[in-house]
Amino acid sequence: MTSTVSSAPAVRRGTAARHPYLAALTTTRARIGLVLVGAVVLAGLLAPLLSSHAPTAQSGRALVPPGTGGHLLGTDDLGRDLLSRLLYGIRTDLEVIALAVPIGALLGCAFALLAAVHPVLDTVVQRAFDLVLAFPGLILALAVTAILGPGRLPVIVVITLAEIPVFGRQLRAGILVQRERDYAVAARVGGTRRARLLIRHILPNCADPLVVQLAVSLTVAVFLEGAMSFLGVGVRPPEPTLGNSLSQALPYLSQAPYFAAGPLLIVTLLVLGLSLLSEALNRETRR
Amino acid sequence: MTATTPASLEPALLEVRGLGVDFTAPDGSPVHGVRGVDLTLRRGETVAVVGESGSGKSTTALALMRMLPGNGRIVSGSVRLDRTDLTTLGEDELRTVRGARIGMIFQDPMTSLNPVLTIGRQLDEVLRAHAREHDAGHRDRRARRRRAQELLELVGIPDPARRLDDHPHQFSGGQRQRILIAMALANEPDVLIADEPTTALDATVQEQILQLLAELNEKTGTALLLITHNLGVVARSCDRVLVMYGGTVVEDGATADVLGSPRHPYSAGLLAAVPRLSSPSGTRLYGIPGSPPDLSLPVVGCAFAARCPSADAECGTVPPPLVADGGAADVRRVACHHPGGSGVTEVPRRVPSEVPVGAARTDTVDGGAPLLEATGLRKEFGRRARGGRRDPLVAVDGVDLRLDAGETLGIVGESGSGKSTLARILVHAHPADAGVLKLRGSDVTRPSRAALRALRQEVQMVFQDPYASLNPRMTAGRIIAEPLLARGGFEDRAARRRRVGELLTQVGLDPSAADRRPRAFSGGQRQRIGIARALAPEPSVLVCDEPVAALDVSVQAQIINLLTDLQRELGLALVFIAHDLAVVRQVSHRIAVMRHGRFVETGRADDLCDSPREPYTRALLAAAPEPVRVPAAA
Repeated sequence: MTSTVSSAPAVRRGTAARHPYLAALTTTRARIGLVLVGAVVLAGLLAPLLSSHAPTAQSGRALVPPGTGGHLLGTDDLGRDLLSRLLYGIRTDLEVIALAVPIGALLGCAFALLAAVHPVLDTVVQRAFDLVLAFPGLILALAVTAILGPGRLPVIVVITLAEIPVFGRQLRAGILVQRERDYAVAARVGGTRRARLLIRHILPNCADPLVVQLAVSLTVAVFLEGAMSFLGVGVRPPEPTLGNSLSQALPYLSQAPYFAAGPLLIVTLLVLGLSLLSEALNRETRR
Repeated sequence: MTATTPASLEPALLEVRGLGVDFTAPDGSPVHGVRGVDLTLRRGETVAVVGESGSGKSTTALALMRMLPGNGRIVSGSVRLDRTDLTTLGEDELRTVRGARIGMIFQDPMTSLNPVLTIGRQLDEVLRAHAREHDAGHRDRRARRRRAQELLELVGIPDPARRLDDHPHQFSGGQRQRILIAMALANEPDVLIADEPTTALDATVQEQILQLLAELNEKTGTALLLITHNLGVVARSCDRVLVMYGGTVVEDGATADVLGSPRHPYSAGLLAAVPRLSSPSGTRLYGIPGSPPDLSLPVVGCAFAARCPSADAECGTVPPPLVADGGAADVRRVACHHPGGSGVTEVPRRVPSEVPVGAARTDTVDGGAPLLEATGLRKEFGRRARGGRRDPLVAVDGVDLRLDAGETLGIVGESGSGKSTLARILVHAHPADAGVLKLRGSDVTRPSRAALRALRQEVQMVFQDPYASLNPRMTAGRIIAEPLLARGGFEDRAARRRRVGELLTQVGLDPSAADRRPRAFSGGQRQRIGIARALAPEPSVLVCDEPVAALDVSVQAQIINLLTDLQRELGLALVFIAHDLAVVRQVSHRIAVMRHGRFVETGRADDLCDSPREPYTRALLAAAPEPVRVPAAA
């Protein structure tokens, strides 16, 4: 027998031992992203502490400029405190997004795994994805709302529906590539069963683009919720969201520009932060 | 640029002094790719740079043209081309050198040509880029086309006038490499750098390209710097050779001297590790123990010290300078404290294996059923030609084979001969389209679920690429445990761990390796993990698909020896697939030569190599380059 080649195989030092996601999160890009997203999320979570007024309470003084009468950001056309509406709006948004995107991602992945089992299932699932993708996001939103009526639920359903094919396609592409790789063939030759091969061997190797996609999808979801609320088919007033605050501010844009500034700024920060995060993850996992 | 120099001796055309290149690792730490490389190239000379992966040979070539990737930079030394120091030139000045005075050929002819442009366009592009520097001017389009046609003629493309308008996909791999050579030669450079020009090509084509390079060197007087890992290629085509190891030049001298009587222990070891076609079946290969150095660590002393048989305390601390070794300087230089030292002389001698493997089972139990038997195996891949016509690719076309217990069947063929597909059919990774496959006499062509499970235990596979065949997300231990889990009987974690430890020891790794992921291992170590995985279900047949093609020569020998040792110990039957006839001859009892999905010739290993019957076998034999004409007999 050959002698033991080396007691300690050459272990590469440094980042090799660290998980690439962790490495990605320590880059400057990701740190800025984390701070931005973290600040917005924190503002939403701490809404009851940070605001002195109830989001729906009317003070009787409409459209006061920022800083007057205890209203830090002023009031809206119905005399409601803009800061409270903004903070609670973030809350609503985050609740919807944090629920809808992961559900969409999980369902999408589940369908992709299903599609990987048999070519016939693959065709069925693919055509179903095509069907969903054939509708532009907003048409889908209007259609769903027409059935379910306005509210939180249709927003969640629409975002979920929109995300399923996105994740499904992404994972399916990954599986098709990984399935032909030598290690997958080796596992098959080693006797590993199909389900185990798919979930324990192939799925972890497809995870990178999915994680990046998750960050991208959160960004898209912020827009989608905003657009639905803006069109009035989303969360019902008087409950505040970023989107309906914006639509409410639109008629007063020349008169009271500060009205629209808050929601616009928050959406910008959130999207910017998530984009930076997804970009950082993408760069690190592509290495 | 200075043109005339006093004709004292012969002036160096390209002179590299103390070249050092650092790379920045992703974590910011420096990796010393090349350290203190000296190289001199004279007009019309052919010099080879030989080394294994990571030795810095390609980095040196790229650094010469200042074409290092973004994370690499030249940290020391100079590169003088006719007295102009290339390391200090600006981008614009460099452009007048690249492609005009120094031409370059890359390894992979398949990806180095733009697929959407015709060959003529691409040659035209090169000519036009440097039109300004030529007096006669390739400014006129027709003149350029004439020149392009000349170039194709020069590199031996038949009917060049017509073929100028063809696209890259209409040429074969060898022809594409010829076209790349034509592009490199288009502006009549003084120096042609060829970075592994034949590695991606089949043996018979490799031979043609080497001949072409030698001819062109004679005809045009272009100096050739050939970067390669293949000592056979060096022996065939170069006057002088530089041997590199761990980023440094360890030996430099005339090819015949260096290959004939290497003075550096690494050169000697490398030479000894190359399988020779002339060695009979069963010859044990010599492998250099250990693995190549980690370049991210600061190297004190000699880079080779850790693997050197004659290393002492001095080698571990003082880096040996590259000094003249007997005779005039510039003739033969070695970087070693003990050149030609004690350990070296014994190294190159080949140890004939204690038990002559071939003898043990020349006539194996002929009466009993063979372990594995295939008749008329066939495999097609659906493919469509233009217009949707069905045009299936027949990868395996009626193969009959028989494998007895404890025997090694070598299968040799060039790329596209269907040998990998055959391997995958044998292990049931793909089903066969036609034919019968029998294991111990029972038909397993289309096995039931239960039969397949049994079969997975009996027949296992070792893959070509040790990087792709191990799941990067799993630890070595889990990778090896996978077949144990699939087979059952190892539900207990501790028992499984124990078995994994045993398997790792069996393939020459430390049991502690189980907790590390594949990327922590070198190529050779990964291949050992792959072998351990294949051994896990205690198979009786091991199908090895090019198990050493992706490994360096010194490591290749370790893996082949491991496989033959395991075979003897465990009584395995091996199907050993490779493109290198020399390797196959040494490990195999019988050899089958495969071409276009068929076996063209089968026979006892030595018989087939010594007296081939088929012309194709003879061509393969003739094309296999030998590092030394007459092998140094012990």
